[in-house]
Amino acid sequence: MDTFELTLAAQDGPTAVLEVAGYINNEGGEVIAREARKLLDTGSRNLLLDLHATRIINSIGISLLLEVLERTLEVKGTLAFCSLTPSIAKTFQIMGLAQYARIFPDRATALFELARTQ
Amino acid sequence: MAEPVRLRLVLPQVARAELIAGDAVEKLGRRIAFPRDTLAEVKLAVVEACLNALEYGAGEVEVELAAHPNAARPWLEVVVTDHGPGFDPSGVARPVLEAKLHSKRKRGWGLELVRRLMDDVTITSRPGLTKVHMIRRTGGE
Repeated sequence: MDTFELTLAAQDGPTAVLEVAGYINNEGGEVIAREARKLLDTGSRNLLLDLHATRIINSIGISLLLEVLERTLEVKGTLAFCSLTPSIAKTFQIMGLAQYARIFPDRATALFELARTQ
Repeated sequence: MAEPVRLRLVLPQVARAELIAGDAVEKLGRRIAFPRDTLAEVKLAVVEACLNALEYGAGEVEVELAAHPNAARPWLEVVVTDHGPGFDPSGVARPVLEAKLHSKRKRGWGLELVRRLMDDVTITSRPGLTKVHMIRRTGGE
């Protein structure tokens, strides 16, 4: 699926879940960064990006996700990802992203762990 | 040994042109029974090589794909060519996440991904001709 779509799938207390579908390139990355900024500016502290419908993220999209990560760390929040394809998981591993962001196998686990460690 | 299946593409300078090459890799890889997850890694590496070529090259970008149907260990070979000003690959610093997080410039991951997702990568570059030659075997790293 290459058509990009971003949905605010849930917002519960400090945690917001963004469901991402399609190719994360410069355009998709900008949309995510804009929405994330809005959520952090209005009080969200945990951002969970559910990538189950995303098969490819290019390096420009990655750089925009790093902007989201930087902003999240600035407000002492947590950026988390779940439901990664193996190739996206490998991309994140190459970048060393797990040092700064949390990665979960699925949304239920992510929400449970984020609530538990608040 | 069966002959490789070859495909040559010329990418136009249009949005998402890199995906044309990525999709071709996927189709060709399936023909030689490349595992899906490995193929997804090759697709990303090719998308990145094409993005660089489209951004820094001048005009069209050529992509040559070859699927080698070796029964025991099939392999994919991709060459991305552009005609831009060229660059010194040894002068491209490896990105470090911590430094990127504190830097205004967060880009610069493309070449690192290409190198880490493929088994062999050779870059030759001079003004007017840059070639990124990549190979991925099944069961590679």
